[in-house]
Amino acid sequence: MDFLAWLESTALATAVAETLWAYPLLETLHAVGMVMLVGSLGLINLRVLGYKPALPIAGMQTLLRLAWIGFTLNAISGVALFTSDAVHFFSSYTFRIKLVLIALGGLDAAFVTRKIFPDSRAESSGEFAVEADAPTKALAAASLAFWIGAVIAGRLIAYTP
Amino acid sequence: MDALTWLEGTMIAQAIRETPWMYPAFETTHYIGLAMLVGGIMLIDLRLLGFARDLPLPPILGLLPWVWAGFAINVVTGTLMFVYGATSFGTNRMFWLKMTLMALAGVNALVFTLSTRSADWIASGHAPGRIKAIATLSLALWLGVMAAGRWMAYV
Repeated sequence: MDFLAWLESTALATAVAETLWAYPLLETLHAVGMVMLVGSLGLINLRVLGYKPALPIAGMQTLLRLAWIGFTLNAISGVALFTSDAVHFFSSYTFRIKLVLIALGGLDAAFVTRKIFPDSRAESSGEFAVEADAPTKALAAASLAFWIGAVIAGRLIAYTP
Repeated sequence: MDALTWLEGTMIAQAIRETPWMYPAFETTHYIGLAMLVGGIMLIDLRLLGFARDLPLPPILGLLPWVWAGFAINVVTGTLMFVYGATSFGTNRMFWLKMTLMALAGVNALVFTLSTRSADWIASGHAPGRIKAIATLSLALWLGVMAAGRWMAYV
């Protein structure tokens, strides 16, 4: 708890808490990052599940960049929002659930993408599965659930203990 | 003002006020709708601007039903939240900025739809300059809609 109290006393935390436009700006960036992350990962996962077969799976690797930009944006804006009210956020069960869902969603996405995209280090000849196998599809479905769950938990932090 | 006060007194508004989980549920669903609506628009616009060229245009443009579904979800949840707090939302300048930006985004989307009626560029995979301008404007307008939406709580 001492660490959390220290976080709240940092210059960043007081700036976020006391500057009129800082909080809504960070919240907007957090929403934009969410759309980038969930939008692009969502389409990749839906494609793995068989949606829009006209989209080549290999061509979707570019969308991962978008997901990473969204994730980075949200890690930064999320940390800044967290510091402004660290004690409250840390003690919130909904916040903890959100973090667990993000960890699971990230781990899951790592498995799915490793399975469907060719290893960039190897001299790829484009030889990889055209369609995903059943375990990968199950992971893609779970990924959708984790990220939707993270969005839901994020919204509910303000309303739950 | 009378209409706003009347809205807040309707049975719907009263039901939302008296059921503690309703407002948070609408807000959460509004965010899911946002991810579908702007997520779909973002993928379409970025592809039109030349991002992820390995993905053929027709199936990307085929994401539009997600955009419409997200829009429908957010019209319903947004209307319910507005009814609940009509006198504060109806007098909030950020709320009206959000509505104005959404109307502009709607006109922009209509122009885009009319431009795709007879479009040989879709098969080629390369959008012409005027379509790229529409896509850029669309991204900017929806970013503005999201920002105004968040700022509503702070003015």
